[in-house]
Amino acid sequence: MADTEIVEKYTPNFEAWVQDFTEWQTRIGFDPSWLGDYRFDIKFDWDTAGEKIEFGDFEGMPKWERRMQIPQQNIRDAIISMISVQGDTEFASVEQQNHLLATAPTEYDMKSALRIMCEEQRHGWQMAYVLCTYFGEQGVREASKLLERNAQDGTRILGSFNAPIDHWLDFFCFTHFIDRDGKYQLKMLSTSSFKPLAASMGPMLKEESFHLGTGANGLRRIVKQGVIPCELLQKYLNKWISTGLDLFGTDDSTSAQWAYVYGVKGRYDERESDIKADRAHLNEASRELYFQELREEMRRISSVRKEGEPELFIPSDKFNRGIGMYSGKNYTITGEKFDGNNQEYQDYLISVLPTDEDEDKLMNDYMKKEWIQYREWKTK
Amino acid sequence: MQHIALLAFDKKKCEPFFNRLTDLFYEHHHSDSQNPDEYERLLYMVKRPYDDRMLDMIDDWTGLGKREWKEETTREVKLALYAIKYPDTLLIDSFTEKARNNLTRLSSYLHFTHHTYAIWDEDTRKGLSKLGIDIPHTEVADPFIYGAYVSAIELLKDVAPFTCFLEHDVPRQRLFQAALASYGREN
Repeated sequence: MADTEIVEKYTPNFEAWVQDFTEWQTRIGFDPSWLGDYRFDIKFDWDTAGEKIEFGDFEGMPKWERRMQIPQQNIRDAIISMISVQGDTEFASVEQQNHLLATAPTEYDMKSALRIMCEEQRHGWQMAYVLCTYFGEQGVREASKLLERNAQDGTRILGSFNAPIDHWLDFFCFTHFIDRDGKYQLKMLSTSSFKPLAASMGPMLKEESFHLGTGANGLRRIVKQGVIPCELLQKYLNKWISTGLDLFGTDDSTSAQWAYVYGVKGRYDERESDIKADRAHLNEASRELYFQELREEMRRISSVRKEGEPELFIPSDKFNRGIGMYSGKNYTITGEKFDGNNQEYQDYLISVLPTDEDEDKLMNDYMKKEWIQYREWKTK
Repeated sequence: MQHIALLAFDKKKCEPFFNRLTDLFYEHHHSDSQNPDEYERLLYMVKRPYDDRMLDMIDDWTGLGKREWKEETTREVKLALYAIKYPDTLLIDSFTEKARNNLTRLSSYLHFTHHTYAIWDEDTRKGLSKLGIDIPHTEVADPFIYGAYVSAIELLKDVAPFTCFLEHDVPRQRLFQAALASYGREN
């Protein structure tokens, strides 16, 4: 049962970080007045975090509540690294998306995107708070770096978070596919042996569901409207899905295995699963669940397409991968080995991924029309 | 008094409900009687400026039949739909008797115009009662009873774990209200 604690008093370390945060907002062009009465609360759900370590070699021992309870420096480093990566993505997404507010197709979309950006910043705050409060000087240094790296410079930790989001179709794909990966990462950390990290996840996951809903419904509204042809939409799905799959990390990952051994990061279905974890293939297992979920979601999105439009589908997990056993290999969107040389494969990619010409047509033709089903912003 | 009653509710008692919330929601919302496709269409179709046709569509969806109101009553309710601010329900008190005589109808108008107000439903009320939140039975729009109902669902939203929250196009008040209706119907 959730019983959320909202932290009222900050540590001096974190107060200093908040100053840097304000400067970061100005630097990236996010006007703080857009926040209205939104507050960056620090929220912990201690009840759902659990009392005892749930998996790995420390299973059954009390969860660690302070840095000095963590038995080894390498485990502390692993936890800091996980928190840093999570925090990095939160700020990166705001850097990628905030320019879109000026071109929102409806007031509803503008306010939804703004809410998402507020909540992503809150999630970043939460991660910075945990770093500054629980990990001393090392944590403070890592929290500073969250605001130093930048998506526009391409210095964010994960590839997807350096990719430009040029228009609202990319935004909906991002919130549907990449934020969905975020949901998986948050849920995997929700059973963490480090209690403040586990306790941070419940409130973050509650908020994340709105972000995913915005993506799924945005795509559904586009398909329903029928202005952008499904053939073109499919190219954008092809582009974003491989990126989302890559975010789960390498196959046979030893770092995922160690994180499991330490109890720091579990499986997506850690609490629900009766099956013993295959520690050597943790990333693959989570990725497969994500992939199944994408297919189910796409059936739902595609079902509202106009008559005569081709069915939208999730491309093969072998296609266009940058990480894992299919990385750098030539596969088609349906998962067959490409029959041809590298040059021919590049030509094939042009036919299934968005080109400059597609981008131009999308932004200067389709998006000049009523390309998305209208939805009213409901004032409270 | 209602505020104190809500603070005193037993959160442990809600666990079995929260554990099954998604299934309970599907059972109710996706049943034939609830016509989920039409529900979704109304989420989009009901927008400002509100007109009689929109209220007719809501009447059809609820299955209550077309309201038999004088033109002034319809105008009075439409004006209130613009003026009311969630979670206030006291404005209902200023309505004439005709407008207040069916809370399900009135709350449905509020739901589709604001998405935050929950639809009044007897099974949902019973579901709340099973969680230890007793809201009196009523058919007419009593602002205090409906206010307690709205606050109770808002409270459940606040204390529910993240596993309860769907990603789809259903306002969270509908998610909880529909799940409570299924829960309330169970023996």
